[in-house]
Amino acid sequence: MRRLLLLALLTLAPATVAAQASQFGVRGLGVPGRPLSTRAAGSSGAFAMFDAESGLNPATIGGLPAMTATFNSSASFRTVENPAGSASLRSTRFPYVSFGGPARGTPFAVGVSYSTYTNRDFSNATLDTLELRDVLIPVFDTLSSRGGMSDLRIAGSFKARERSVIGGSFHILTGSNRMEQHRTFTDNQYRPVEQSTELSFAGVGVSLGAVHQLGRSLWVAAIARSDGGASVERDSAPVGDIDLPYSLGLGLRWKAGARLDLAAHGIFRTWSGANSDLLALGGSGSDNTVEVAFGGEFANDPRRPNRAPIRFGVYYATLPFLLPPGLQPEEYGASLGSGVRFAQDRGSLDLAVGYLSRSTGDFEERGFTLSFGVAVRP
Amino acid sequence: MSRGWGWLAAFVVLASVTTACQEELTAPAVCPELCPGGNARVFDTVLTPLPGADSSYTGYVPRHRAGSMLVSNGLPAGDARAVYRFQARRDSAPVGDSARPYVVDSAQISLNLIRRDTLLDGLNLYLYRIDPATADSEATFASITSQFVPGALIDSIHVPDTLNSGLVRTVLRGADVAKVALPVEGDGVLAIGVAMSAPEPSGARLGALLAQSGATFISYVTVDTPDTGTIRNQTLSAQTTFNTYVLAAPQRPDPNLLTVGGEPSSRALLRFDVPPPIEDSGTIVRATLELIPAAPVIGLRTDPPLLEARSLFADLGAKSPVVTTDPRFIISDTISVGGADTVRLDVTAIVQLWQAVDERPEAIFLSLLPEAASFSRPVFGSTRSATPGPARLRITYLKPFSFETP
Repeated sequence: MRRLLLLALLTLAPATVAAQASQFGVRGLGVPGRPLSTRAAGSSGAFAMFDAESGLNPATIGGLPAMTATFNSSASFRTVENPAGSASLRSTRFPYVSFGGPARGTPFAVGVSYSTYTNRDFSNATLDTLELRDVLIPVFDTLSSRGGMSDLRIAGSFKARERSVIGGSFHILTGSNRMEQHRTFTDNQYRPVEQSTELSFAGVGVSLGAVHQLGRSLWVAAIARSDGGASVERDSAPVGDIDLPYSLGLGLRWKAGARLDLAAHGIFRTWSGANSDLLALGGSGSDNTVEVAFGGEFANDPRRPNRAPIRFGVYYATLPFLLPPGLQPEEYGASLGSGVRFAQDRGSLDLAVGYLSRSTGDFEERGFTLSFGVAVRP
Repeated sequence: MSRGWGWLAAFVVLASVTTACQEELTAPAVCPELCPGGNARVFDTVLTPLPGADSSYTGYVPRHRAGSMLVSNGLPAGDARAVYRFQARRDSAPVGDSARPYVVDSAQISLNLIRRDTLLDGLNLYLYRIDPATADSEATFASITSQFVPGALIDSIHVPDTLNSGLVRTVLRGADVAKVALPVEGDGVLAIGVAMSAPEPSGARLGALLAQSGATFISYVTVDTPDTGTIRNQTLSAQTTFNTYVLAAPQRPDPNLLTVGGEPSSRALLRFDVPPPIEDSGTIVRATLELIPAAPVIGLRTDPPLLEARSLFADLGAKSPVVTTDPRFIISDTISVGGADTVRLDVTAIVQLWQAVDERPEAIFLSLLPEAASFSRPVFGSTRSATPGPARLRITYLKPFSFETP
């Protein structure tokens, strides 16, 4: 009970940070999303390669005991700093929902999920002074974007052997950026200006994944994913294509004891393939990324490991889209979470709070994310 | 409290925190790193009217249909005298079902002062009786002022220095009533001319028939009714039926310049051709019409006129239909009297309309308010005049913002 109260207090703690919407999502396609359930988010995603409710590894849906629907929400509170100043921002998103389960009487499982592929929500404000008609006029500009790319995943898994599950998924990548540029002049003889455009993206990808149990307490997982390319339209007119990355990931899970479960993973994504396309379209380029995470889950009651376990984890990642040329943004975070199952495991609630820090050059972002997830197994 | 209740409480708290959070995404940004697409650039261009397509047209509002009458003394804008002709006064007064002869005891003539030089004290108005036959639209300064002889002076009205506008009147009693005596036989008509005096050259605007503020002539009469042996007092009121004013030096518009105002009033039509890059994709943030006076604008300093610009529905030359109801496309601003500075009008809404509606002609109609009732007669340069230069349309606009893709 004390842990629960501690968790509740954590959610109310004064916070500054970010998760999805970010100044690091201004360039390129935005900030890549992580298809994590709140349960996996509690360990900074360390268990994502093995988590049946997460969307990273299609093989893991074979681990769903029954048809399961999950819904995850995330709120971020962050402080943004750059040479122009600082600001406290906040946002709420619903980054991941999924539905899936086993095909009864068969070694197959199927599922669909919907997650954020990239997020490009931002509103940037700048001040400038222009010389108009021989008079210096201060102007206030706001460039804002809402939207990004989403990943609709259709996945299936096959339990090949007692200790091995393989899976595959088909990804429909789609979405749009609604961008607006506002300018107001301090001299009201000049009318305010509002211009807008809509970028839309469409592409498909495939992924393969596997989970294999090496011994009584050791599991390995691997994924390989190709997202092909995304065709880009601006106000319904084709403007080009952007290569999306290949992803290769490897995960390891070790049940260190009756109470402690540990996991780690690393994922490499070839975002540099998009570099030339982005530069050709007038963007700022991109670079390959790595993501590593380590975390654990401590069960209070070994007989009932899903009863309010303590989840923890840290992670580090690089971000694909550059702000200052030549400097790749990076992020690291730490998280803490827990959850409970009830109604004979037919329902579950999961909570997670995470600290996140992103930086590159003079650009920084820090803050907290609060996530909660609901899973129902009817 | 059970563990289940604890979870429920934590869930409710977290759900409240996450869903009740109002989004705030605006952050300061530094360019170029956080400015995909760069900065919106602002451009400024100056257009002149199409050569020979800027014209003045004269004859819209004649002086006798103006909204107010002018009167002045020695004003550089020109000497003016006002003229009023009243309704005929009946030669009998109705008593019961019969008409009876009457005796005029007293009479009152009232004028409506619309505007005066509020900085100048000692304004006097002089009312002269004139021949009603000369009070018509053909009246000239000479034909009217030649009747302003001492014998024709009805009275003078001293305008209180504190009165900026309103009624002023004179009441004639006793022998003075004879100054407005009318023929006994047949209906009589009174016509008056109005002059003014002031310590310095000045002017004033008086009420007019069009504005229902014309002069009034009231006769207070006594009707003898021998049948009953009583005397009845009655009032016979005569309103203005015609008014005009005459100028010592009427304006003669120069076809090489743009004349706005005067009497009969002139209007100017300016035609432009906005370049396609601006018309098709520019975002106009400001458009200013600049007119260069050919000479300092004369007039009454304390009664400056309004220069009005209107959008057109169609370009039919002098008879082009203009916007009359939508105030967004009717732009007006005061013209300073005595100066030769460039006159500027903010016509942004009109130019934006040209962009939005292809059918609207890229033209502006200019007029002066009060039309045909101002001492000012501004004259501006045109494309046919080397000095001063033609009107200019100065457009400040933005090209389409180059949103980064992506």
